[in-house]
Amino acid sequence: MILQTENLTKVYRVGKEEVPALRGVNFALDTGEFVVINGPSGSGKTTFLNLIACIDKPTSGEVYIEGQPTSQLSEGQLAELRKRKIGLVFQTFNLIPVLSAYENAEYPLILLGVGRKERYRRTMALLEEVGLKELAHRRPDELSGGQRQRVAIARALVTNPRLVLADEPTANLDSETGKQVMAIMRRLNEEHRVAFLVVTHDPVVTQYAQRTVKIRDGQLFDGSAKNGA
Amino acid sequence: MELKLLIPLRNLTRNRRRTLLSLAIIALGTAMIYAVRGYVDESMLSIRQGTVRQFGNLQIASPLLWAEKTENFGYLISPEDVARIVALLQEIPEVTAHTVQLNLSGLAITERKTKVVRATALEPQNQALDYNDLVVEGSGLNPDDRAKVLIGRALSEELQLQPGDFFSLTTTTVDGAYNVGPLQVAGIYALNNAVVEGQLVFMPLGYGQILLDTSGVAKVIVTLRSIDDTDRIAQIVQRKLTEAGLEFEVRTWVQLAEFYRQIKGFFDVLFGFLTIAVSVLVFFIVLQVLTLSFLERTREVGTIRAIGTKRYQVFLMFFMESVFLGVLGGLLGIAGGWLIGQGFNALGIGWTPPGAIEPVPVRLRLELGNALGPFLVGVFATLLSALYPAAHSARLNVVEALASK
Ligand SMILES: Nc1ncnc2c1ncn2[C@@H]1O[C@H](COP(=O)(O)OP(=O)(O)O)[C@@H](O)[C@H]1O
Ligand SMILES: [Mg+2]
Repeated sequence: MILQTENLTKVYRVGKEEVPALRGVNFALDTGEFVVINGPSGSGKTTFLNLIACIDKPTSGEVYIEGQPTSQLSEGQLAELRKRKIGLVFQTFNLIPVLSAYENAEYPLILLGVGRKERYRRTMALLEEVGLKELAHRRPDELSGGQRQRVAIARALVTNPRLVLADEPTANLDSETGKQVMAIMRRLNEEHRVAFLVVTHDPVVTQYAQRTVKIRDGQLFDGSAKNGA
Repeated sequence: MELKLLIPLRNLTRNRRRTLLSLAIIALGTAMIYAVRGYVDESMLSIRQGTVRQFGNLQIASPLLWAEKTENFGYLISPEDVARIVALLQEIPEVTAHTVQLNLSGLAITERKTKVVRATALEPQNQALDYNDLVVEGSGLNPDDRAKVLIGRALSEELQLQPGDFFSLTTTTVDGAYNVGPLQVAGIYALNNAVVEGQLVFMPLGYGQILLDTSGVAKVIVTLRSIDDTDRIAQIVQRKLTEAGLEFEVRTWVQLAEFYRQIKGFFDVLFGFLTIAVSVLVFFIVLQVLTLSFLERTREVGTIRAIGTKRYQVFLMFFMESVFLGVLGGLLGIAGGWLIGQGFNALGIGWTPPGAIEPVPVRLRLELGNALGPFLVGVFATLLSALYPAAHSARLNVVEALASK
């Protein structure tokens, strides 16, 4: 098991008001699984993903990454964990605009202190897998949305993480491009044996899931519908 | 490497106009400080040279003279003691030359006017300190001259004396007797200092001794190979004097030249004030620009933090940007200041300092040696401006940063 959450809750405080965003979420993700969590806007998807990504702290409950509880880890230890074990894909791609596609995808390897030659080998291999080898030198603003998201996927996978988390990865893409991006993620999931957890409000995305979970008002409802590949 | 070099450098290209603005501000500040530094250094150097030319490097005299207890002439140094002092000086290789002087004052009388003057009696054309190079009209003093005198330009105008003219000088001898001697103007000197030119005359030592009726001198003047040796050799000479049982005291030219100390103090304050004012200005403008520029990247900070970049790495990334800005701006400033300085030097614009008679050209001394200070001021003001915005960016909450814009 790569990921497990235990009675995860998150309550936002806005002024005097308390907004419960997650209400006791128990969830588990197996190594190499491809799971889509589907729910309407405001249902708590991003909140849930942020907690799993270890960039936010739950109000109560625990997140286990490869069996390790994370609530007691320091800021530095959490950064270390994110950099080694988790890849992230964002709705708005979030590439660094002053870096080329190659440099964006290479960035996490720099954080890991990988040597230049090895970085080149791994980065180019991934850019080839997402079909961007030819455009490696381009800056993000010279790429289409779909191409940018593919760079972001390469960046998320370049460190060989155990888990990739994607928050609405197709929301800023037209439906055709969205499907291509999902297909690429699904393929990489199989080829790299890396678990994917995709949260989305887009029902189309669920077509690519091995397993779909519904979320509503901060609670999960296991759809358990296995779609095959 | 890439975090500290590549990304910061790329980020500087992000908004070129803004980067150019920052560079221009830093460069302008640095150039101003450098130009003023160059002016101060050049002025101080010429004042120092003038001062050393006036006083020598060291002077040896009785403590009575230094304490200005001169009424009874108890400060005079006998010929025997002069010989012993000279013998000591000859043991020191850094000493290039020495001479003696006697000072007196009296009343200069012409057919039309009288005026109180001070006279320095000296060995004409000695190797150490000789004022013949200041002569602008007539000739200097020669070793075989007797009743000849050099007078300042201001005095020559006041008493209407030309080279070849005579006047008499009345003095009091060491025994308190009245004395008077005729003097012929050999030449007129100029020092670009109205007070000195109007008061001070130079005559041969022998004639001064006649006027005072003494065989003694007031002080021994020493010149050194290098001005930088002054303090060290002063200590050595003093020790040798004390060991030899000679009760004389060494004074350096800095101790003697009150004017030099005052002007140095004035320049130090002026320069310090300018440095602070310019640094503060650069600091606030660059702070403004960097704050804006860093805030625009809030979501990027959220992104790189989310994928594992540590806080200190974010800080360094941003801080390094200011290092490049500061160093580049500083270098541009030094180059700009140098050009400004060369321009001033080439134009030869003059101004008349207080107490001077003629305008002196504004000259700037611009060398690598005095460039370092202004360069560092430019760099540090920039680094300081980056400190807070960089720390702020490094401390952003990741989730909030990701959600921004
Ligand atoms: N920073 C926040 N402060 C207050 N309320 C928040 C904050 N972030 C999210 N919420 C609230 O929590 C709930 C879940 O939000 P979110 O996780 O962003 O949902 P989703 O990603 O599914 O649209 C919503 O009601 C939202 O308004
Ligand atoms: Mg969301």
